[in-house]
Amino acid sequence: MQSEKIISTHDIKEPGVKRISPDETLETCARRIIVSYFQQMMSYKEGTKDGTDIEFVHDMRVTSRRLRAAMDNFADCFREKPFKKHYKKIKAITRTMGAVRDLDVLIARFQREVDTLSKIEQADIHGLIAHLRNEREKARKPMLALFTELEATDFETKFLAFFVGAVCNPDTER
Amino acid sequence: MAKAHKIIGVAPGRSYHENARIILPQKVEEVWTWEPFIRDAARREELHNMRISIKRLRYTMELFHVAYRNSGQPLAGRMERGTDGASIFQSSFLPVPSRKPKAESQYTKFLAVIVDLQEILGDVHDCDVVLDVLTGNANGAGAAVLGPGVATLIARTKETRKADYETFLRKWEHLSTRGFKQKLLSFLRNSE
Repeated sequence: MQSEKIISTHDIKEPGVKRISPDETLETCARRIIVSYFQQMMSYKEGTKDGTDIEFVHDMRVTSRRLRAAMDNFADCFREKPFKKHYKKIKAITRTMGAVRDLDVLIARFQREVDTLSKIEQADIHGLIAHLRNEREKARKPMLALFTELEATDFETKFLAFFVGAVCNPDTER
Repeated sequence: MAKAHKIIGVAPGRSYHENARIILPQKVEEVWTWEPFIRDAARREELHNMRISIKRLRYTMELFHVAYRNSGQPLAGRMERGTDGASIFQSSFLPVPSRKPKAESQYTKFLAVIVDLQEILGDVHDCDVVLDVLTGNANGAGAAVLGPGVATLIARTKETRKADYETFLRKWEHLSTRGFKQKLLSFLRNSE
């Protein structure tokens, strides 16, 4: 679903991008941008886990997509094997949150639509909304399990150590 | 969802500015790989893939905005908000000399067109997802007959989808006849 169109209660910016100089090397900028997006994405994690405010899921998912776009563009700056390992984790974050977000958007849409229907028509849409709410609770489980796994394996520290540190691709032309 | 095309020719040791001119044109080309399919409203997978490619282009343009801060002249035309909410260039896209050149204005306008295309394709995709849910609900176990509310929303969503698709195609053809792709590529490659 087109989650970006719904105005977030949180402020998504272009982290890191405004602080870079276009004359710096790509690898310097790439590291700074990736770290900045990653930190912003992870800042939404606790709110996402809580689940009360649906905008945390939205913001975390959008930021994970921006992070992936940056990683796609800058992949050649880093050693391939560890880079791919980290990339796959980010992809998993986007995917598990996508399932939840899609249901949030559908529920919100049907809630808006239901008021425009007659009483008779409303009954089955209320049933549909209840069904989607149950599906949302199910969809949150893989997402929460992934967060637990990431915490247990110290993913955040390892990700930052890789991208902050001088671990750019030594085989690439300088 | 189709994977992002592999970016080639990236030079990590060269400047961010130089690499912007290597990476961005490839992102533009990825969008246009879906162009042969979009005149068929039923090609929802390809329309979805085009939306994703446009989103990747948008995010990449936002990443490299800083690399075009000193380039670009204001366009001959201006950005207008149409009655359908569409942001489109009303000009020929040709840069013209100006007494008060505004840095990055051209880049910003190109980016606004990309965002607009992403949003309208997003609307089309949203309708497809809603229709999947509604028809799945109607045809699911124990739902032998369409409920009246579901039937009403299916009909309504089909109409909305049709209108959104036509809006997208009209915008796309408008941009195509004005050489949008060539002008965008030329700008991204050649602006200093």
